[in-house]
Amino acid sequence: MAGIWVFAEHKGGTFRKVVFELLGKAKELSGRVEGGIKALLLGGDEGTAEELAHYADEVYHLRSPFLDLYNCDAYREALLSLLEQERPSVLLAGATFQAKELFPMVAARLGVGIAVDAVALELQEGDRVMVRRPIYGGKALLEMVLEGTPQIVLVRPHTFPPASRRETPAPVVRKEVDIPPEKVRVKVKEVERAKEKVDLTEADVIVCGGRGLKGPENFSLLEELAQVLGGVVGATRAVVDAGWRPYEDQVGKSGKTVSPNLYFAVGLSGAIHHVMGMDTSKVVVAINKDPMAPIFQYADYGLVADLFEVVPLLKEELKKELGK
Amino acid sequence: MDFRLTEEQEFFRKTIADVVDRLIVPRAEEIDQKDEFPWDLWREFTKLGYLGLRYPEEYGGMNMDKVTTMIFYEEITRGSVGFAQSVIMNMLMGTHFVYRFGTEEIKQRCLVPAIRGEKICTICFTEDQSGSDLASIRTTAVRDGDYWIINGTKQWITNGPICDFCTVVATTDPSKGLKGINFFLVEKGTPGFSYGQVINKLGCRGVVTGELVFDNCRIPAENWLGDDLEKGVEYLGEILDEIRIMTGAMALGIARAAYQEALEFARKRVAFGRPIGKYQLIRAKFADMATEMEAARLLIYRAAWMLDQGMNCRKEAIMAKVFATEVCQKVVDEATRIYGANGFALEYAPQRHFRDARFLLYGGGTHEVLRDYLGRLLIGRL
Amino acid sequence: MEIICFIKQVPDNEAQVEVKGDGTGVNVEERYGLNFFDSLAVEEALRIKEKAGGKVTAITLGPERSVEVLRTAIAMGVDEAHLISDFSLQEGDEASTARVLAEAAKKIGYDLILCGREAFDDSSGAVGPMVAEFLGIPAVSVVTKVEVHPEERKAVVEREMEGGKEEIELPLPALLTAQKGLNEPRVPPVMGVMKAMKAEIKRWNLGDLGLDAQEVAPRGKTIRYVPPPKRPPVRYIKGEPQEMVKELVELLRDEAKVI
Repeated sequence: MAGIWVFAEHKGGTFRKVVFELLGKAKELSGRVEGGIKALLLGGDEGTAEELAHYADEVYHLRSPFLDLYNCDAYREALLSLLEQERPSVLLAGATFQAKELFPMVAARLGVGIAVDAVALELQEGDRVMVRRPIYGGKALLEMVLEGTPQIVLVRPHTFPPASRRETPAPVVRKEVDIPPEKVRVKVKEVERAKEKVDLTEADVIVCGGRGLKGPENFSLLEELAQVLGGVVGATRAVVDAGWRPYEDQVGKSGKTVSPNLYFAVGLSGAIHHVMGMDTSKVVVAINKDPMAPIFQYADYGLVADLFEVVPLLKEELKKELGK
Repeated sequence: MDFRLTEEQEFFRKTIADVVDRLIVPRAEEIDQKDEFPWDLWREFTKLGYLGLRYPEEYGGMNMDKVTTMIFYEEITRGSVGFAQSVIMNMLMGTHFVYRFGTEEIKQRCLVPAIRGEKICTICFTEDQSGSDLASIRTTAVRDGDYWIINGTKQWITNGPICDFCTVVATTDPSKGLKGINFFLVEKGTPGFSYGQVINKLGCRGVVTGELVFDNCRIPAENWLGDDLEKGVEYLGEILDEIRIMTGAMALGIARAAYQEALEFARKRVAFGRPIGKYQLIRAKFADMATEMEAARLLIYRAAWMLDQGMNCRKEAIMAKVFATEVCQKVVDEATRIYGANGFALEYAPQRHFRDARFLLYGGGTHEVLRDYLGRLLIGRL
Repeated sequence: MEIICFIKQVPDNEAQVEVKGDGTGVNVEERYGLNFFDSLAVEEALRIKEKAGGKVTAITLGPERSVEVLRTAIAMGVDEAHLISDFSLQEGDEASTARVLAEAAKKIGYDLILCGREAFDDSSGAVGPMVAEFLGIPAVSVVTKVEVHPEERKAVVEREMEGGKEEIELPLPALLTAQKGLNEPRVPPVMGVMKAMKAEIKRWNLGDLGLDAQEVAPRGKTIRYVPPPKRPPVRYIKGEPQEMVKELVELLRDEAKVI
């Protein structure tokens, strides 16, 4: 029983929100899995490690010049050098692009399996975890257990509530990692930073628009609504293909899978490939003047109305409600 | 009896269905609503080379068996009936006699580009006063030295007002009735040949259908597509079965499109708290539609198989055409009923299938004439 | 350039999927096709070959019916295709698949391996990176742009993750996984379809790859399948727009508790 490790993915010192959700779940699991919760930080500075220390029992801060920017070779080698010395019972990470690239490699090298995109995690016997994950685009779920140690699980963001910050920070163990340069084969250059806005996959609130918006200029209606709610605007494949919105805003099977607390589906029909990308949202509100739109089958609340009338009114009502 | 398609035919079916879904289905609504010939889609699609399925490789064709060509007709019609009519005209009726009887030079000038989609063609049977009664056509072809002179007006010609060449059905001797029927190649630009009025149709919109006028149209002798002036109708008989089975395949394609729409709707549409697909009467409709479509499929593909085997399938081809067409009428009707009020809205697809299906009732032969003919074949000459 | 594409036959997006009553499996409607992301990989491989010359080989691991996606790849233009099929692989997981595909790649030889970022059925995306690890080659996932420089034995790719866009340079041989936006897969022309229909597709089992069942045993086990949670039916909010909006906000506040 060697504890639970949580991979603290970050970009330039800002942690992915899912990290805190995993630390929260780890706390719950640690009731039965001995060994404590260790947060793994690769790269980043002391301040970053300090902050992380408020959420775990210990922080392993791995440092090397190769770790300053995410690089799957360097990160993999760093993790493996650590895992050679000790292996946790469970290793958790958010199911992000980074983790989905990095951890299968780690698993392959360690000779263990991996569970990707968990939407539920439960302890079974001893330290074994049962992972529930969607298949066939969410039309079914499977429950699985992993053999070997560590049990590597990549968890879908927004699955667990975030951990509470502890008063006293835990100890930070700094490890300078020696990564052989010849093992770092990929050279990464940042081309474009993500705009300051929150990424769709992390947003708590998403206002998504489809062809019913009639044109790119009308998306400002949704942007205003999103702003009042502190949310982000998403787009359907149709409007992305039409060039109204960028691909990074696309919600759906071939775009991003999102799982916000509140999802507005505005002027979109709810084609199955779109629905597959958002149907684990906690609360879905559909606004569409077509009563037959399939989206109503996947919504909690439905407004059969003209979005051009309702959305501005909704914005005002929410402004009043939220005191903004 | 092995009822399966061969692995190759199954792969072809899968592939062409996917091509149709990607290229044609997304445009079908627009093609119908604008009622304009989709030149860009024509170019994109014909470049893929599927128009040569029934001709030999030396002309750019693929020499495919009849079963495979029927699969093609079924799928492309499922995508868009108007577009399919145009394509199929280039693949079969519009080019057959050119292929069968044209000189090598004519084949290079007309057949090869038609297969490539570079030229659009058609065949002209129908006139104002004659449809099924082919012997009564009034378009004449009179020999004048090294030329033929064509006079007459043809109606309901698919691709007519945009064609680069056409096969005109004219009589060289009205007194001989059917034995005077012959086929002639007329190319665009020939003096005396002009496009007439375009018909505004209920369905199959997007393909240009209209009138062609031949006014002392003078064509060289080699443009007569035949080898015996009295055997024209016999040569037509060579492809009648194929045309009828093809029409049946088109009918099945339309039925499938309508059926699929109705299926998705029945799964999603909620009434009285449940998807309507859970109600018995709706289920019965699907049971009946599926059964009849399956029967149509068997008739069509067995007849096509008989063609490939060189067996006489005159009766089976008529059965396939008539049955599949009648089934199609029922399916498109049911699909609009399942849609309820929305079956009446131009915004949804079922009304388009409903309108498109009507052309099958006369295209490839009216059912009144065909059933009479089939009955006579069965009973014999008394 | 010797390029290998790993592709997979998956159920259509619209295929009906039903979890069996006892949870021991899933009934999937028999409608299959080439995994979308894999079609991007095949298209990219063909484009690279058209520019740099060479050969493209498509490989799939699956039951006999998967041969259909190999034919689709040939219809698009790949030169050769192989099917790996073995009874022992039925219960395999991502690691099993990756081990097998890695051996197949070694057997054929490659400068570049392309595959889709994930398969529609498993939605895991782990196989690609695992194959790279088993082969000891570098990998980049979810690429949206690829430029190969054969003489310099390197590739320069672009990809986007949550944090932003990156440009990555990596030496060949390498493995890349395709993300939407990489390209528009071509529609198979009839000549391609004819070629595919006649093509001879080699079949391999574990023995042909020098593997035994033990080596490719899965590292995890599925215990059962469950249907997705049912959402209660939608609650329509009625009235004039102003009333609708008021009621919605109240419900979001008091009932759903999301604001």
